[in-house]
Amino acid sequence: MIGLTPERISEELKTYSARLTEGMQTLRRVGEIESGVSPRDPVHREDKLVLYRYQPRVAKPHPVPLLIVYALVNRPYMMDIQEDRSMIRGLLDAGIDVYLIDWGYPDAGDRSLTLGDYVHRYIHHCIDFLRERHQQETVNLLGVCQGGALSLCFASLYPEKVRNLVTMVTPVDFHTPDNLLTHLIRNVNVDLMVDTFGNLPGSLLNFAFLSLSPFRLAGQKYVDLVDILDDASALKNFLRMEKWIYDSPDQAGEAFRQFAKDFFQQNKLIKGEVIIGERQVDLRNLVMPVLNVYATQDHLVPPAASKALAERCGSRDYSELSFKGGHIGIYVSGRAQREVPPAIAAWLAAR
Amino acid sequence: MTDQTETSAPNQLDTKFIFDQARGYLAFGEQMTEMSKQFQGNIQSGATDWGSVLRQNFDQFKTAITQSADDPNVNPELARLWNQTLDLWQQTASSLGVVPPEEGGGDIWQAYQQVQNQYLDLLRQAARGALDLMEQQLVERASGGQMIENLRELYNLWVDCNEKTYGQMLRGAAYSELSGRLFNTLLACYPKRETTA
Repeated sequence: MIGLTPERISEELKTYSARLTEGMQTLRRVGEIESGVSPRDPVHREDKLVLYRYQPRVAKPHPVPLLIVYALVNRPYMMDIQEDRSMIRGLLDAGIDVYLIDWGYPDAGDRSLTLGDYVHRYIHHCIDFLRERHQQETVNLLGVCQGGALSLCFASLYPEKVRNLVTMVTPVDFHTPDNLLTHLIRNVNVDLMVDTFGNLPGSLLNFAFLSLSPFRLAGQKYVDLVDILDDASALKNFLRMEKWIYDSPDQAGEAFRQFAKDFFQQNKLIKGEVIIGERQVDLRNLVMPVLNVYATQDHLVPPAASKALAERCGSRDYSELSFKGGHIGIYVSGRAQREVPPAIAAWLAAR
Repeated sequence: MTDQTETSAPNQLDTKFIFDQARGYLAFGEQMTEMSKQFQGNIQSGATDWGSVLRQNFDQFKTAITQSADDPNVNPELARLWNQTLDLWQQTASSLGVVPPEEGGGDIWQAYQQVQNQYLDLLRQAARGALDLMEQQLVERASGGQMIENLRELYNLWVDCNEKTYGQMLRGAAYSELSGRLFNTLLACYPKRETTA
């Protein structure tokens, strides 16, 4: 209102419709959407898991390899989504020898996989593979989000195999007051959910994420898209992110059951009550150097949920890296590329 | 041996979302055109209290949007703006294979419908709160002589207000309890695969 005349609105709507129509031509011409840009080689496989080694970008990479454990939700190419937005490329440029676990897409045959399978078998076997391949007693481990929680469990259970632990946007205390995902799942009957579906459908997780901010994520974002519909490059970037957002693997039923109940609903990780494959996870066993990276505006894993690690872990060499941004921005924003990989690489190089 | 980059074509979902939201935005624009016409008319006919005129015209917008919510057939595009979250939920439920039974369904289906209606009521409360907040902010801007320069700015204000009131609702115990029940009653509509050990 006030200064906004009917004629002006009408003109704006005409322009919007015209741009939308023209933009659809660009959308049709935009071609294939690539994601995961850095060359990599599969070096180890187990069931649906593939362990990749990214081709080094320096002549002599750091002798201790870094294993990245991504979350089970969404796909790990977020770490390497395009050439100018790649956390992995930043680490490679800084001389780190980078490996990454791709969990694949669980299907009906995977519904009985437990967290024990993920931690004691999959992660453990990758760690042992790297120890042998690089002739190292210990290797570096970087866990992302839920993958960070799994890495905390692994490093607590096998501290003698982890040289340095980096956690990124990793929940530790699941019951901080601002934890919206816990708030959403608190009253859900997880047993009924897993018994009903077997594996948890990825579309349900998508709903949970979108429902945290539906007017922006399912509405405004698409209205604003008209502004870049005539720019093929910007449009490709947008579509790449869209592809990632909706590329949600189903979750292996039994692993999801335990993660949802023990971590989200009962907050057992910080209480030292998580049992994985008959072994108790005690964060005080984290005696290796720990770097905890969190995002100040993270709406999925609030900073307090990550920072709780400071008081729980047993390391005498505990550091935090605070990034001013959100849960996704920490991987893909321009500032993240400049700040985060170099800081992680420098921290690792010093240890 | 080197792994190939993952590629895909732009999917149908993107195009559908773009068009759905574009239609909603155009419907929003039509409502604002009407409101702006009335506002300009009132001012030209001598009204001097901009705040009162704005409130009066905004009430008509509120009525239009709440009517479309009560009966989406009145203005389906406007209703989509209001029912964003419920649409997301229903699309999700549909993708999971939940479809309404042919003749009203049994008790379990009825129970799910009942909870879904309660969920919708909660969403509507938040959306009404957003309209009140938007009105308040427009009046404050008017009294401060601040101009809304374009329709997109007005739409963005509408989004901001909805995110604010929705976010407050989301953080409340009532939402957690109700969304949990919504999931649980939906799950009850499925045949169980097997019993938990």
